[in-house]
Amino acid sequence: MEHLLATIGRNMFAIFGVLALCGAAFMVAAKSAVHSVLGFLFTMLCIAGCFLALEAEFLGMAQILVYAGGIVVLFLFVVMLVELSKYKEKAIFQLQTRSAVIAVLIGAVAFLVAFRDIFFGNASSEALVLRPELAKGLNVAAENAQAVSRGLFSDYLLPFEILSVILLVALVGAVVLAKTERV
Amino acid sequence: MSFLRTLIPFDIAAGLTVTGRYFGKVFFSANRKKVRAQIKHFTQEYPEVPVRLQPRFRGRLTLLKDEQGEIKCVCCLACEKICPTEVITIEKGKKEGRKMPYPVRYDFEMERCIFCEFCVESCGFDSIILNHQFELAAYNREDFSLGMDGVAQNMFEPSPVGRHSVAED
Amino acid sequence: MPTMNLTQTLVMGLIQVVAVLILIFVMVPLLTFAERKVIGYIQVRLGATRTAGGLVGITGSLNRGMWAMGKVPVLSILRGLPVFIADILKLILKEDIIPAKAERSVFTLAPIISVMAAFGVFSAIAFSPGALFIFPKGFPIVGGLPFMGFISDVNVGVLYILGLSSVGVYGIVLGAWASNSKYPLLGGLRSAAQIVSYEVPLTLSLLTPVILAGSLNFRELSIRLTTGADMHWLAAFPLFVGFFIYTTCGFAETNRTPFDLPEAETELVAGFHTEYSGMKFGFFYLAEYTNMIVVSCFASAFFLGGYYLLPFGLQRFIPASVPFLGQPSILFFFLKVFAILFAFLWVRATLPRYRYDQLMDVGWKYLIPLTLVNLFAAAIIRFAF
Repeated sequence: MEHLLATIGRNMFAIFGVLALCGAAFMVAAKSAVHSVLGFLFTMLCIAGCFLALEAEFLGMAQILVYAGGIVVLFLFVVMLVELSKYKEKAIFQLQTRSAVIAVLIGAVAFLVAFRDIFFGNASSEALVLRPELAKGLNVAAENAQAVSRGLFSDYLLPFEILSVILLVALVGAVVLAKTERV
Repeated sequence: MSFLRTLIPFDIAAGLTVTGRYFGKVFFSANRKKVRAQIKHFTQEYPEVPVRLQPRFRGRLTLLKDEQGEIKCVCCLACEKICPTEVITIEKGKKEGRKMPYPVRYDFEMERCIFCEFCVESCGFDSIILNHQFELAAYNREDFSLGMDGVAQNMFEPSPVGRHSVAED
Repeated sequence: MPTMNLTQTLVMGLIQVVAVLILIFVMVPLLTFAERKVIGYIQVRLGATRTAGGLVGITGSLNRGMWAMGKVPVLSILRGLPVFIADILKLILKEDIIPAKAERSVFTLAPIISVMAAFGVFSAIAFSPGALFIFPKGFPIVGGLPFMGFISDVNVGVLYILGLSSVGVYGIVLGAWASNSKYPLLGGLRSAAQIVSYEVPLTLSLLTPVILAGSLNFRELSIRLTTGADMHWLAAFPLFVGFFIYTTCGFAETNRTPFDLPEAETELVAGFHTEYSGMKFGFFYLAEYTNMIVVSCFASAFFLGGYYLLPFGLQRFIPASVPFLGQPSILFFFLKVFAILFAFLWVRATLPRYRYDQLMDVGWKYLIPLTLVNLFAAAIIRFAF
């Protein structure tokens, strides 16, 4: 019993990963758009679980808060408003199946090639990889938020800010696109 | 100043003060026997405590008697005529030592009465009133036919049904 | 704390989960009773008085005797308390109807999500900073271990609670959609928009104590706020303002009056739970009241001083050597929780419902700027003084 539980505890990451894949598969396969959103939500929660299994608690919670709590809600909002009957849904959502499958295959191969060392090499012992001079005096496993913020706001400040500007551009663009019809 | 007024919700605070004051008043008076004399709440704990009715409450029709114990009604039939549902039936008669006519029968069919009080308003001799009795339910139809005789259904006494709010087995 | 092996950890966790569940299942019925009573008193009525105050049964005969003597029955303030038994029985025994055109799976899933999100939050809430008692040595499995005032000491507890309570909105939205009916759909849409809007000022207002204390751990944050050495006395001001902002957003998050637009009776019948009946409706009901308790726990811990007596970080003025008032206690925590729960009922009996545009105005044009200013003030106080 004890042994079994310990094994489950060690393999949490794998379990959550497989569950996330299942959720993603359900999302793609589901007939109804709302079911797709539910599958997406499940995937997001499972990815948060993966982060937790890696002792990156801050990231896991941010994942739930931002993706599950914010973005997927907006998806659901839109999907509920757009009432598409079943046959229309099929025609619209399944049009790009062939190209999507090819894209996924290329992506998977590229991913495997890029990360083959991590997959087939030795497992990393550290929970969160930071530059050693940044992690000075920080217990990364216990002080997640501090570690993430040091990475974001000192080491990678410029990319972070550029990213937020890009998000802002997307936001303004969405407003412009939505507004043009009325002018 | 108006900016401050927008910033700080004074009106919400004022509303909460009012309701809070009422809460305090009722909370501290409702369940204590000492301050029960000055009750602050409107709920009447009816079967246990007698109800405080408004003076204009219209209950069951009652015939009045004067100081000598004589029936005040003089059979002018005003109430019988004005009654919209025709629930009053009066039979004129004579009595020894009384100049005015005397009602031999005064029947009141309560099941159809709408308690409009027209009869009382039309009466020139103040001989009938609507009393404050409101527990008028009964098990038999006959119990709603009231008259001048009989114990259970006479028009001088309050009806025995509902005189006790609590039905004792 | 003595180290525990895996079995002990699990059993201990189970015991604490059951304890918290019991707490919830005791507090929610009491809350419904309190709601009847408090709103009754505010409206110059008596509220529920019939059960255990009526004329039949054991309490009834006792009460009848007291009335006959011309006295108000003893414990008359508790008359009407057993109504909750009837409530629960009704919810359990009532027929569970699923509309023919509803999405069965999602329809069933929605209340479960709601209730799970509401209950799951409690795993990171610390009711007491330390151990409540220690199991006696001879106790099986957990003998000698302390019974802590919290289930788990999550490193990022604040984020965990915020994240989980934001998942709770799925229950409402999915339930509304799955009902396949107009009123629930409108209610669900309103609710989603409302909750997503108010999550912004809610989270921002919680950042005030987080900045001031510099921690994301529920227990640590609360303790540092009240007794932390580097807390300036000026910090009481942003905390004071933050408390009101947080409570307002909490009202909106839990769909309570004056923000109960998702279930506005006059317009939407009953909003998102129009088609629900039986225990499925009961789950929504349970989730709403549990969320009220969660919001109260939050406000109590982060703004009102948590386990210590004085709110807004003023506890420093009472030295820790004072016997009872200077010490942390679970009593103080629950005192504040009850006070805020009372405020919930008080506001419900006072304020009318906002219109939808007013609701959005309050959220976006009033609360968010105010919170940002407040956050800025808190940051200045934290780093300049």
